[in-house]
Amino acid sequence: MAQVADPIQRRLQPKRTRKPEKGSMNLNLTSMIDVIFLLLVYFVVTASFVEDEGVITARLPQREGESQQTDTTPPPTQPLRITLASTGSHDVRLSVPGAPPVRGFSELGVVLDGLMDDPERGKRGLFESTHPVLIVPDGQVRWQHVVNAFNAAVGARFSNVRFVPVEEGGR
Amino acid sequence: MASQVFKRGPVKAEMNITPLIDVVFLLIVFFMLVNKIVSDESVPMRVPVLDNPQTREVGEVERVVVNVAPARGNRQGDPLEGEGNAQFVQVGASLRFDPEDLGGITAAVASAKATAEAGGASGVEVILRADSALFYDTVQPVLDAVTEAGVETVHLTAFLPDDGGVGEPLGAGGGASGGGGG
Repeated sequence: MAQVADPIQRRLQPKRTRKPEKGSMNLNLTSMIDVIFLLLVYFVVTASFVEDEGVITARLPQREGESQQTDTTPPPTQPLRITLASTGSHDVRLSVPGAPPVRGFSELGVVLDGLMDDPERGKRGLFESTHPVLIVPDGQVRWQHVVNAFNAAVGARFSNVRFVPVEEGGR
Repeated sequence: MASQVFKRGPVKAEMNITPLIDVVFLLIVFFMLVNKIVSDESVPMRVPVLDNPQTREVGEVERVVVNVAPARGNRQGDPLEGEGNAQFVQVGASLRFDPEDLGGITAAVASAKATAEAGGASGVEVILRADSALFYDTVQPVLDAVTEAGVETVHLTAFLPDDGGVGEPLGAGGGASGGGGG
C-alpha cells in the first residue's frame, strides 16, 4: 500500500490494526487484581470475626502422673464448699455454708467477698484468701454455672479454688 | 521517513505492578493460613457467659487447646438449651477422641507437653474450651485427664467482659486496688 506523504492525509486514513511488536506482549492484569483484592478484603474481614473469648486460669494439683481423684490426702483445713444443685431445668441452686441463700452469681461474689479476711483491704472475715475453696456441683449442673461459680470465687480473690471430682460431688 | 527516535510512537507510561501483586498474594496466603489454624483449634461452641467476668486474654504461652465439643455448637437462642453430653474431645488442631477415652486424651496432652519441652519450653498450659450447656460430669473427667498428663495450669475459657480482660490471673496475689464482687 502506498504511503501518503501528507501527515494530515495520513491521519484521515483508516487505522490498520497494529501488529504486535516483537517482545512487547502485555498481559492484562486488571481483572486479576480486582479478584485478588476481593479475596484480600474477604480474608481481612473474616479474620476479625474471631470471638472475644478470654480465660480464667486455674492452678490444679501439680502432681506428675497422678489424677486429682487419686489424691486421697485430706485437705489440711475444712474447705469452703460452694454447692451447686441442679434444679432440673437449666437453672441451678447455690449454697454456701453459713451464709443466707444465694440467688445468682453476682450475689455469690458479694457473699464470698464478705467471707474474705483481708486486713490489707480492711476486710475482716472468716477465710483468708489462701483458704481452700471447693466447688461442689451435681453431675447434671451445666458447665456455664460451674465456671460462673469459679469466676465468682476468683473475683472475690480466693486463690486456692478446686473442683470436686465427679464421684464425690456425684449424682 | 519517520524519525528514529519516535519509531514506536510516543512513550507510554506504565506502572510496574508486579511487586504489588507479590505482596497482595503473600497477604492472602497469610490470612488463609491464620484463618485455618484458628478455626481448626477452636471447635464451634457457645462458651460460658459470666456475671462480672474475671476473664483476661491469654498471653503468648506454649499452649494446647482442648475442646470439649457439644453435639450442636452453632445453635441459636439460649446457650443452655443444648445437649448436656459431649460429642467429642479435640486436643490441638486435629486429634479427636471419644469423651470416654480419657487415657487417649491424657496421652495426647502428655505428648504435646513432651514436644513443647523438647523445644525448650518449661511446660505447656492447657486452654480448656467447653460448651456452656455441658454437664459437669462430662467436663470434669476431661479436666482430670488433662491434669493427669502433668499439666500445671489449665485456663477455662469464657467470654471476655465488654471492656476487655481486666481480671488478674489466679494466684497473682492480692494487694492490687479494686474491689472483688460487685
